[in-house]
Amino acid sequence: MSEFFGPLDSEGGVPPRQQTRVAAFLISAHGALARQFAFALPMKLKSAWQTELNAQFYRESEIVSLLLRAATWVPDLALAYMAATWEGAWLLQPIKVIPDQSLALVVDLATRAHAVHASIRPAALLPVEANPHDPFVMALRRIEFESGRLLQAQILLLKGPELVPFRDAVSSALERRHAEIRRLWTEALEGVGIANRRAE
Amino acid sequence: MPFLSHGSYRIRYEVEGPAKAPAYVLVNGLTQYAELWATYCNALIARQFRVATFDLLGQGASDKPALFISQDDQVEALHLLIKELGDGPVFLSGISFGGVIALRYAIAHGERLAGLVPMSCFAELPPQLFLLGNALRTGLILGGTSYLQDLLLPMNVSDQWLKPVLDKLDSVKRQGWLVNDVYALQNLMESFLDFEPLTPQLASIGVPTMILNGEFDFLTPRALHETLRVHIPNSSLVIIPGAYHAFTLEKPALTVDLLARFAEDVLGGRWQGNKAVWIAPEEAGGAFAPFPAGYDHLRAIPMQGTAR
Repeated sequence: MSEFFGPLDSEGGVPPRQQTRVAAFLISAHGALARQFAFALPMKLKSAWQTELNAQFYRESEIVSLLLRAATWVPDLALAYMAATWEGAWLLQPIKVIPDQSLALVVDLATRAHAVHASIRPAALLPVEANPHDPFVMALRRIEFESGRLLQAQILLLKGPELVPFRDAVSSALERRHAEIRRLWTEALEGVGIANRRAE
Repeated sequence: MPFLSHGSYRIRYEVEGPAKAPAYVLVNGLTQYAELWATYCNALIARQFRVATFDLLGQGASDKPALFISQDDQVEALHLLIKELGDGPVFLSGISFGGVIALRYAIAHGERLAGLVPMSCFAELPPQLFLLGNALRTGLILGGTSYLQDLLLPMNVSDQWLKPVLDKLDSVKRQGWLVNDVYALQNLMESFLDFEPLTPQLASIGVPTMILNGEFDFLTPRALHETLRVHIPNSSLVIIPGAYHAFTLEKPALTVDLLARFAEDVLGGRWQGNKAVWIAPEEAGGAFAPFPAGYDHLRAIPMQGTAR
């Protein structure tokens, strides 16, 4: 098992089976975020921070669109089971110690978005020899770069003054989300011969 | 790969060299990882030292707390590592961010140390460094780890080091980019948001201290090292000719030699800090020169008069 995609084809492309598995995972994770941002986004913005919500919704949608078009898809029987597990993990799990239910839901969404944007690094799977002009390779680089920016909204919220009274609970929930998403990512990669160097 | 446990977090470390030898503990800078000390480990072991390296919380193979990393936790992690080394003499050295952690350790647990070597280090965040730190953090946020590396490289090493690698910078940066995560680097940088100057506590550092400063370090310039020299009683400031902030990367043979000679002098009872200012040799094994009397070591042009 390698820490990188491979063996690459003669043009430096990632094997289609690995493309399919990684793209499916990322579409599931970012697609769930896009759906939940869409639900949270009002038709008429009332606060300045909601402009960021709008941006997050469109960036997540862009990632899904990009992967649908950039990946080479092949049949992957394990996906049926795995996708069900992934979708279950994206369900809301509001933090109980936050009495304001709407805030608790927002915090849960932010912890999951933080974990997806921070701990999933698809471009780090690319070996040096990967063809930089390949659309899938470019897509992964773009997703990792955009994730670093999208993450900032989650950091601002989770470190913000409104959550200071719940800091320990928020930190614990975030660590749990990171561990959960890292585990799912590790399992998804292992099935196609890739060892996640950040495995638990 | 051994790990220490600090609460729910794991800290990856390595200890190499003869078990009963005096130990050197090396603390990483912000974007470093333990493997970058490999040359130091080999050279110090060859000079009969034991060497301990580790990844700080948020770095390399250590756990990366998701939201906050306090510098107190880093000191505690370092304390755990030093406890692993037993009762023999321990010399502690850290560069830049790691230098600050080493200073904090020396303030909190100085009695455990035989000697301290802060390198490219600071005890305060004056406006230039504060603003540079903020700009670097913004660079990380907007451009990712790779852009932060792009900003740091030309600041921290010389043209002579950069020139031969200019057309392969991506490969130079790749391992650092692979092992560092944006959120973890950001947490490390944001551990300075509530930074209080260490200067009032420096006088409590009673151990022999050699302060290393690159001649051309403009990220942490001479004045910041001067604060350490003035306040740490048994210290000397050693200026490394032609060196920038990351001289540990650029001049490993010389730096290892300086570290080893310092520890040998301390263990041999020859070390006298005297708050002196020295110029390091150009090459390993060369002689130290006292900074010329009558000239101000804080100036870049030879101005008469001294800050000492």
